[in-house]
Amino acid sequence: MAKATTTVMVVEDEALLLQAATKKLEHEGIKVLSCPSGEAALKYVDNLDTAPDAIWLDYYLKDMNGLAFMQAIKTNPKWAEIPVIVVSNSASPDKVHNMLALGVNKYILKAQYRLDEIITILREIIDDARADKDE
Amino acid sequence: MAKSSAPHKSLITLFVIITAIAVLLGFFLYKILYSQDVQAHKNVYELVAWSMVFVLLLIAISGTISVLTVTKQIRKLKDEASRFANGDLSHKIEMSGTDEVGQLAFAFNQMSDRLRASYQRIALEKQWDEILLENMGEGMIALDKKGQIGLINGNAVTMLNLKGKEVVGQLVYKAFALHDANGKKPLSAHDRPEMRVLHNAKPQSNVFEFWIEGQKPLMLHINASPVVIDGKTAGAIVILRDVTHEREVDRMKTEFISLASHQLRTPLSAIKWYTEMLLAGDAGKLKKEQQEFAQNIYDSSERMIELVSSLLNISRIESGRIIIDPRPTDLKQLVDGIVNDLKAKTEEKQQSLIISVHKELPKINLDARLIGQVFLNLLTNAIKYTPQGGEISVFVSRKDDQIVAQVSDNGYGIPKQEQGKVFQKFFRAENAVKVETDGTGLGLYLIKSIVESSGGKIWFESAEGKGTTFWFSIPMSGMKAKTGEVTLDELK
Repeated sequence: MAKATTTVMVVEDEALLLQAATKKLEHEGIKVLSCPSGEAALKYVDNLDTAPDAIWLDYYLKDMNGLAFMQAIKTNPKWAEIPVIVVSNSASPDKVHNMLALGVNKYILKAQYRLDEIITILREIIDDARADKDE
Repeated sequence: MAKSSAPHKSLITLFVIITAIAVLLGFFLYKILYSQDVQAHKNVYELVAWSMVFVLLLIAISGTISVLTVTKQIRKLKDEASRFANGDLSHKIEMSGTDEVGQLAFAFNQMSDRLRASYQRIALEKQWDEILLENMGEGMIALDKKGQIGLINGNAVTMLNLKGKEVVGQLVYKAFALHDANGKKPLSAHDRPEMRVLHNAKPQSNVFEFWIEGQKPLMLHINASPVVIDGKTAGAIVILRDVTHEREVDRMKTEFISLASHQLRTPLSAIKWYTEMLLAGDAGKLKKEQQEFAQNIYDSSERMIELVSSLLNISRIESGRIIIDPRPTDLKQLVDGIVNDLKAKTEEKQQSLIISVHKELPKINLDARLIGQVFLNLLTNAIKYTPQGGEISVFVSRKDDQIVAQVSDNGYGIPKQEQGKVFQKFFRAENAVKVETDGTGLGLYLIKSIVESSGGKIWFESAEGKGTTFWFSIPMSGMKAKTGEVTLDELK
């Protein structure tokens, strides 16, 4: 059963970038949960009734790094299955490897992707996840 | 008189004999002259006879004097020469005269001067060597063929925390311990570079850890070279260099570059995304000129983003920390993949792209990321610097023990006077800049580094206005794996 609107949680501590991502996603008809810090995101994790369809996660957050965040949601059954894409400006093989091992679906370099490209990737991943669930 | 006076003794004997003959002759002449028979011509005979006797005596006397004089000179020369032989080279023989003995003396003096100069030179060179050894920045240990320490300089003693030069005579692997990057246990004798080089005569060069109690371990770069005499390994020279600081600085530099590029990318991403939204009309439809301006901003920021990535990649390559992860790779697949990614660009410029990969190429151990980058750069360049409707081709074949890849175009070419510089960082040929403002000038530098660290070569031929062909080779044996810390950022 398809949901009415897609919801994406964006976790990004750079204000301008969070704003741009939020604006573009909303422009495309996607509901956005904006999180300017890891803390804010985790609050959602603890308190939301329905989890978002996907998470757009920056790696270096001021209060924690992506690894810590991933570990937090993996322990939450409601959130553990949500597709995550990491949109970061640095990517070392170790980091990428660790994140992928923790269940991140894709790790992309921010500066090399347009917003519309990222949204396409998000939609693909969400569709895949929905297809998996429906099976 | 010394032992060697035999020759002149016989000469003197000769003159004594001549004197005896003179005396005998005199006696007989006396008898003949003063006999009755020759009374008539007695005066003439007398004169001749006594003259002969006189001459003979003269010969004898002068001869004896000459011999004695020469002997005396020679004896003097011999005494002086003995002084030389005994090591006193500072003495000069004083002998006047230009005769043979005088010349001999002169020759002796010359020889002694030369010898003295030689000794001084040798003493100087020995001093140089000793001072060199003690003052060179590195530690030095000289080993014999068994691995025993024959010579060690002050720096090595300090570096290795040894007690003076006591270790001379000890086996090098007993004198001090080395660890490699992962070892808790010290290296066994067999694994020590110093013993390896003695065993196989191949120079060893690597970095090891040297543990000191109560301190952070030192990183020592050890260079061991064999000493080969008459085809056999007679020993080794080991040079130790403390690279702890170097490594620390390198690590700091890489962290800084990582941080800087991360910091630079953040505002660049903001520019990219906001301009993207402007151009897409998300903030309202743009007028033509507004569209143009926004596009210019977008393009410029794209250039900057690419530049930051290239700089990061280059810094990683130069620090030697790139991971090389070779896997059996199907070259046709690799090339097809890259060409596919570039399809949009070739179609836009209506360029034809021919690919020909030799049918029976086996899979080669390559790091697809790195070699993909090489193909990507060469093809991107071919597309960029070839006009509409141009032709680009890619050939991959095998030549002896190498895989040779060729990327050709019939585009603008590289002017002859600039061909020597194309692999330099940031270099872009004049005609290239005119045609395509977009370009970092780092692409060729990057791929040259990749190809060369894969054990291959890269070269090209080009004629302005006609086109360019680049070739690069990779050994069939493939790339060697290298543990490192980073990979290249993929440049789209």
